[in-house]
Amino acid sequence: MARGAIGTGVFLLLLPLLILGCAQGEKQDTGASERVRLVFKHGRIAGDPRLFHQLLRDFEQQNPGITVVDETLPSSTDEQHQFYIINLEGSSADFDVLSMDVIWIPEFARAGWLRDISHLMPLQERGKFFPGPMQAVTYRDRVYAIPWYTDAGVLFYRKDILKKHGFSPPKTWQELVATARAVIDKEPGLYGFIWQGKQYEGLICNVLEYFWSNGGEVLKNELPVINSPENIEALRFMRDLLVTYSITPPLVTTAIEEPTRHIFGNGRALFMRNWPYAWNIFEQEGSPVRGRVGVAPLPSFPGKTSASTLGGWQLGVNRYSRNPEAAEKLILFLTSPTVQKTLARTIGYKPTRTSLYRDQDLVREQPFITGLHDIFMQARPRPVSPYYMMITQVMQPEFSAALAGIKTPEEALNAAQKQIEHILGVER
Amino acid sequence: MTNRDSGQRFVTPALLLLALVTVYPVLSVLYLSLHRKLLIFDISRFVGLENYLFLVRDDRFWNALGNTAYFTLFSVVLELVLGLSIAMLLHREFRFKGFVRAVVLIPWAIPTVVSAKMWEWMYNTDFGILNYLLGAEVNWLGSPLWALNAAVFMDVWKTTPFVAILLMAGLQVIPRELSQAARIDGAGSWDVFRKVTLPLLKPVILVVLIFRTLDAFRVFDSVYVLTGGGPANTTETLSIYAYKVLFQTLQFGYGSTLSVVVFLCVGMISVVYIKLLSKGTK
Repeated sequence: MARGAIGTGVFLLLLPLLILGCAQGEKQDTGASERVRLVFKHGRIAGDPRLFHQLLRDFEQQNPGITVVDETLPSSTDEQHQFYIINLEGSSADFDVLSMDVIWIPEFARAGWLRDISHLMPLQERGKFFPGPMQAVTYRDRVYAIPWYTDAGVLFYRKDILKKHGFSPPKTWQELVATARAVIDKEPGLYGFIWQGKQYEGLICNVLEYFWSNGGEVLKNELPVINSPENIEALRFMRDLLVTYSITPPLVTTAIEEPTRHIFGNGRALFMRNWPYAWNIFEQEGSPVRGRVGVAPLPSFPGKTSASTLGGWQLGVNRYSRNPEAAEKLILFLTSPTVQKTLARTIGYKPTRTSLYRDQDLVREQPFITGLHDIFMQARPRPVSPYYMMITQVMQPEFSAALAGIKTPEEALNAAQKQIEHILGVER
Repeated sequence: MTNRDSGQRFVTPALLLLALVTVYPVLSVLYLSLHRKLLIFDISRFVGLENYLFLVRDDRFWNALGNTAYFTLFSVVLELVLGLSIAMLLHREFRFKGFVRAVVLIPWAIPTVVSAKMWEWMYNTDFGILNYLLGAEVNWLGSPLWALNAAVFMDVWKTTPFVAILLMAGLQVIPRELSQAARIDGAGSWDVFRKVTLPLLKPVILVVLIFRTLDAFRVFDSVYVLTGGGPANTTETLSIYAYKVLFQTLQFGYGSTLSVVVFLCVGMISVVYIKLLSKGTK
């Protein structure tokens, strides 16, 4: 019996050595290759993956000695964020280039996970991009990423139905309600206005557009002001869309982008708030709404200005990358005018460079892109704060509770205010 | 060297291992819960009981506790009643008994995440089979009225077989002579069940209850996949809340505070049950 115990003891003592031995073996393997191998992590790329891979092959041809491996993360943005924070907090060098949602940059920069790439973006170069995305990639006056493609909330409407009933696209939320009410009374089975109301990040994008278009804010001088009268009024209006005006069906409270896009794309809704990607799908051959869809800036409350939430993705370099120079080359390539143009023409990714919105090929093929230029110019980033991911975890359930009628808008926003104060209190 | 001594020495490695994998993490979570700690920004401050004081005022915590209690109570009671009925049925002799028994076990055999995804589709408002069969248009997972009940229902579907199998094993141990004797004495089926079967089954029922209550109280995977805690946090359980704080935002201080509270609750439930169990076997 005693011998067995000794044997176990010896084994336990040797275990670390065994593990170390394996780890070293691995290291030698990677050190042996001479070519620079870049790993590029990103979410799902829309459309045919071959188009995107062809771009990466082009890059390899222009840069002999560099191989690019691209690895796709789960399509849920929250899961991508979680992947990055856990791996980067662990100083992982397993990937070199990462694509980031517009809301992550201040957090990642503050945590010291991103390579400062200000030298790639002199002032003159920064001026070639839309101001919103540029603001989002800048933290404390340093640039940490390059905007890759951009997005902003827009209003889709059915041109044909509005025309039939003698209406024009609404400029204010109240006009939208009146128009939708009048039309759906005459067109049974048609939804008035659909948007994204599930408890997730997209809900924040929707709600902020009402806050901003009523003059409200979430943070002012890095302090929460979320329970302002403007915001309470805006949130109450959203609840009223569901219950008082009844132009928004209850299914919206569980809907994300795609379900709403399907409903509108099947001709079952008059108005929809969504991202511009939907337009390319509506205009495809065989689409029931082809040629019948219009795009307009989102309405505002009377006397206030319309506002869209900025979306889109940015490319940055992992601070722990072993090949930062090669990684910089890759992000410069992917954000170059040529590649942005190709991505816009093939898979509908909207360029972050303003000049492309005057590009003759693009304007001819996607005429509505000129209208998007003005919307992107005014798109607003969500509160730029390293604590944004914690703040949104607070806002999502509170907004959801207000839409579901579990809390009044005032109660929900007061609760959010209290929790955000607590989160930001960590800096005291 | 006496047998006693060598016995102690033999359990020492096991005890050390236990200390390493349970006692150390528990103490470290307790320690973390007294800090305001944000790993990613290298912020770590000792704040004493501040996290616990915030927890007492945290509506989201009380909401999660309420959801967890509701989920635990209803799922465990329903599973016990249904499981007992199924166990009684399967305990009889009939044709294809082995086949039926295997079929009953299927829900329990499917991995939780898979069955949660399955139910997510069945609950779907537009395309779900449930609304199709009922001819209804209920937003099962989106309405605050239904979502938590939908999660309970799924858990009952999944876990009743487990309860039934355990109780069936218990039933098989009860000698048939006892119920036969009772019948000869003039007892009806209901009397036999109430006065003979149930008392003899009590220890097994308590074991089932301990398992199920603790599992239900810590429920995470099924609800997380089904609803992610929504709508409006009406299905957010304590484990989901703790997970979001700990791993989605890496707030290790407050996340640990929540974990300590879950730990205390689970501990209290266990103590109550173990007391009941020792009373029952005496």
